[in-house]
Amino acid sequence: MKIRVWGARGSLSAPGPATVGYGGNTSCVEVELADGTSLILDAGSGIRELGQRLLGREQGELHICLTHLHVDHVEGLGFFGPLWRAGWKLRFWGPPSTTATLRERVSRYLSPPLFPIGLSEAPAEAVFEDAPREPWRIGSAVIEAQMVEHRGPTLGYRIEDEGRVLAYVPDHEPYLTAALGDEPKWISGWALAAGADLLLHDSQYTDEEYLGRLGWGHSSVTHAANFARAAGVRQLAMFHHDPMRSDRELEELYDQVADSLRRDQEPPLIAREGLEVILG
Amino acid sequence: MERKQPDLVLIVARSFATKLATPTLIIDANGNLVYFNDAASDVLGRSYLEIGTLHASRWQELFQPRTLDEEPLTAEQTPGGIALLERRPVHDSFVMRGLDGREREITVTAFPLFSQPDEVVGVMSIFWERPAKS
Repeated sequence: MKIRVWGARGSLSAPGPATVGYGGNTSCVEVELADGTSLILDAGSGIRELGQRLLGREQGELHICLTHLHVDHVEGLGFFGPLWRAGWKLRFWGPPSTTATLRERVSRYLSPPLFPIGLSEAPAEAVFEDAPREPWRIGSAVIEAQMVEHRGPTLGYRIEDEGRVLAYVPDHEPYLTAALGDEPKWISGWALAAGADLLLHDSQYTDEEYLGRLGWGHSSVTHAANFARAAGVRQLAMFHHDPMRSDRELEELYDQVADSLRRDQEPPLIAREGLEVILG
Repeated sequence: MERKQPDLVLIVARSFATKLATPTLIIDANGNLVYFNDAASDVLGRSYLEIGTLHASRWQELFQPRTLDEEPLTAEQTPGGIALLERRPVHDSFVMRGLDGREREITVTAFPLFSQPDEVVGVMSIFWERPAKS
């Protein structure tokens, strides 16, 4: 399983000289499975550049797993090349809703007045499905989606491919559910991340910032590290960086995260555009 | 490592209960008592940390619920049991024995926790001790 980060910023794209090192594009991660199947996690602005690269390939099927439909996770769709070329088949997976289908909810963004062209005009074949409640197979991988603590219906994903595990939980506030400090099974998202080789996890706030943003749906870097400890992941990658966070400030937070992890865990990563990790 | 975990709705309900000052009790889809908060400890006579998770038959045995006319209630006949089995809210009063040995009349509002329109993952019961009759 080959993982490549195309966008690691949270909430809002943040281009500019202060963020050029880790990048300003919002959430998008490409996963190439062992059998060659392409899986895309979220469709933030990072998916634009990924789409341009995919257009150089033979047309085929792509799976796009959306964690939720906040703008920073779908804003790149309008500029995702394969969506606007006939011959591609895009299978979207996302959180269920009691009020509207996934297609209807994505269409709210891909329609006037927020976007000039409607989803129905896209030449590619786009199929939308609620993520199954039970694990399901895509290519060589078993995918598991579970609701996690964030504002609105939000999924985290666990991707197991040839014995290696990637957990992707970019928007998550597990602190709200860990108040008792008891069994880890009562912490939101724990089962998704348990024993994962790599966890891409929300690390949006400093500890000080979190105090003023309790309940906004995101984690402090300390909470991200504590969650990684509780889940016993091999390596944590800090993800969903605050749009106000400069490269220098991100690096200043790194030691704090590293010090919070267990000794048997690998040093954390700061997710950046272009980061590639091969599991297996 | 077994990775099984309760549904997020049950996790969040439990977390919500920890923050409430009103006595609150959570049961899962199998009728097991999976949490009660500190305020409930005063009515039930012990803390959750002392008791832990209880199987449905066990907590019915411990608390000995009875109608106001002293007729024994099975777990399925309590407001929480009805809310779970019939998937509807229930408001009722009954008598129970706290683990401190004291008899109490309590009034309960119990409602099912739906994680999907067709899936109940547990029940939240909020209750009050009725004032002693003068």
